Amino acid sequence: MDLNRPALPLQNKAATNRKALAATAIAAALLLSACGGGAAPQGAEQAAAADPASGANASGAVNICGVKDASGIYKGTAEAFTKANGKVTAKYTEIGATTDEARTQIVQRLEGKSTECDLFVTDVIWTSEFASQGWLLDQTKLVEANKDRLIPSTVETTKYQDKYWGSPFFTNAGLIYYQKDKVAKPETWQQLYAEAAKAPGNGYVYQGKQYEGLTVNFLEMLYSAGGEVLNDQGDVTIDSKETRDVLNFMSDGLKNGSADRAVLTYNEDPARLAYESGDFGYQRNWPHVYRLLNATPLASSFDVAPLPAWEGGKASGVLGGWNLAISAHSTNQAGAVAFIDFATTPDWQKHVAMDYSQAPVNEAAYSDPSVLQKMPFATELLASVKGAKPRPISPVYPQISQAIYKNVYAVLSGTASTEEAVQKMAEEITAAKASF
Amino acid sequence: MALKTIPASRGPAKTSGRDRAERKLAFRMTAPSLVIMALVAAVPIGYAIWLSLNQYSVRTAGLSRFVGLENYINALASQEWWAAFGQTFLFAGLSVSLELILGTAMALLLNLAFKGRAVLRTVVLLPYAIITVVSAITWQTMFQPNMGLVTNVLSALGLPGGDVVWLGEHGYAMAVIVMADVWKTTPFAALIILAGLQVISAETYEAAELDGASKWQTFVNITLPLLRPAIVLAAIFRTMDALRVFDLPFVLTRGANGTESMSMLAYTQLRENRLVGEGSALSILTFLTVMVVSVIYVRFAGGNIRDVAKEEQ
Repeated sequence: MDLNRPALPLQNKAATNRKALAATAIAAALLLSACGGGAAPQGAEQAAAADPASGANASGAVNICGVKDASGIYKGTAEAFTKANGKVTAKYTEIGATTDEARTQIVQRLEGKSTECDLFVTDVIWTSEFASQGWLLDQTKLVEANKDRLIPSTVETTKYQDKYWGSPFFTNAGLIYYQKDKVAKPETWQQLYAEAAKAPGNGYVYQGKQYEGLTVNFLEMLYSAGGEVLNDQGDVTIDSKETRDVLNFMSDGLKNGSADRAVLTYNEDPARLAYESGDFGYQRNWPHVYRLLNATPLASSFDVAPLPAWEGGKASGVLGGWNLAISAHSTNQAGAVAFIDFATTPDWQKHVAMDYSQAPVNEAAYSDPSVLQKMPFATELLASVKGAKPRPISPVYPQISQAIYKNVYAVLSGTASTEEAVQKMAEEITAAKASF
Repeated sequence: MALKTIPASRGPAKTSGRDRAERKLAFRMTAPSLVIMALVAAVPIGYAIWLSLNQYSVRTAGLSRFVGLENYINALASQEWWAAFGQTFLFAGLSVSLELILGTAMALLLNLAFKGRAVLRTVVLLPYAIITVVSAITWQTMFQPNMGLVTNVLSALGLPGGDVVWLGEHGYAMAVIVMADVWKTTPFAALIILAGLQVISAETYEAAELDGASKWQTFVNITLPLLRPAIVLAAIFRTMDALRVFDLPFVLTRGANGTESMSMLAYTQLRENRLVGEGSALSILTFLTVMVVSVIYVRFAGGNIRDVAKEEQ
């Protein structure tokens, strides 16, 4: 632009207008890409390990960072720990309103080697990704020392390359809510779908929108049918008969009325709201829905069941929940270990259920009378948790999950055949695994 | 126009010492803003371009390699990019045309003299003041199958569409996104066009009336041509915004059913998959697309503005 030209002759007014327009347009366009770049990964580090014995002599302050504390569990645990410990003071810092936002914030801090947070509350699916970057402290010894009080399936969510990179804090597993006056308790998926198709008010609602929740809904069935995404060696094994069976089963369910086509737009909350209208028989959702359903006219007519088995297979599911990961840049690792020790004690795990309605990672807590009183479905939840498996463990999990939910969605919405989708899924997962 | 007070500086032969001094002064005075511009715009863009020429490992921390244009070649060879490209242009074409038509109509109404005009002018801007994500969630709720307001009203009136899963079908999903955008940003277009409408002098209309022009003739032959610069300006702003659309499809469909936009694709690669190089290449491609479209607009708009400027003389 002619910034060094002192005057504007009138004859050039049109040209100047055009230039001003162009300048505005370009400047505005530039702002877009300015938001685009992410930070480059930092240098690789050899992961240090957490010492389980260090917690006993810990002192100082511990800062725990994670998503907005909706249920109050994080702040509550930090307060209770500070009171019980006497030497270490813990506080909880909210660094994101939603799960996605918290992940972005955590990644930024880890990439920048920030020492602000000693502990991160991480979604179970982030663990391997963070561990592969050398961002976390190796907790293998700590997990082994605490192993007898933790449910094995929940510990598996923190495993990456034969080491443990976090300790489970609380877990989560899918449940089936059903209207006991209309439909039978589901034993198998086949029975559930058949029953759901019988009458218009019996339908099944689940999370079928194109997002992570669809991956979960699909894997719950795939695991129970005996299928898998990756085998123990990490090879892609999703191109299987089981995958085809499950996809056909789900898309048939939409065609014959077992499930309403509206599920293609549902994530957790719309599914719950639709179910609360009373027009459906079954709902797949997380445990937090129990309390909400109890506040509706359906309170007396619904019941809870663990996820059903595949006909001829076994019941399985997919684990959700949150782990406690120690930052590799923590300046108070001993304090962090002390906090984990406290948070996973059988006694505090009871409070996790009683005070915050979250699923404990300690088995004994589920049969505690005071827990059962607050959480009458604890037995069903434990069955779901124990049978559940982690989602595919890989540093490229987000790409794997996209390959799953996009192709499953294509089959459900009718834009791809099962065969096309299975092949594409396998190709995309193989390509994702080959990511540099 | 104060033509005589502006010193003629077009003749390079006449550059005097005073001119040079003035130029230096002007340069010095603009230098701070140039530096700031460079810092806030050029540096991040340069960095994004650099990132887009590399690949950064998602499995090994700190590992990266220079790949030249490979990220761009892969993007341009991928079905996803061209699908997103087409979908984004479809969205932009539909929403901007509707916004301009409705915006012009709205501006004409708001330009009429009536009681409460000032209040109404403020009120119509309300949709524009609402955060897009919030309005997207509202639209999602309204189009909810079985219990949404729109689907219920359509069923009650016996109109088609009541039993459609709007956000779960191709075409319908795009229609909802276009509708949400039109609802939200038409007031913005109307505001710009209204400003253009107010500078058209009353004398022009009086002359037309004296010549016996009908209302329609006046609109087509006077209002519309004189309004063109304002409409083009609104079109530029709206098109640039529409080509970068992210929040509406992200909330309403997560990109399902033919609604994934270019920005969503870049976001997924950058943020969700942490494919920094690939994602940066996609944002640069998006940026280039928007820029090319803006330049094309400015070419045409420039022509219009020049015509108008000549007429004014």
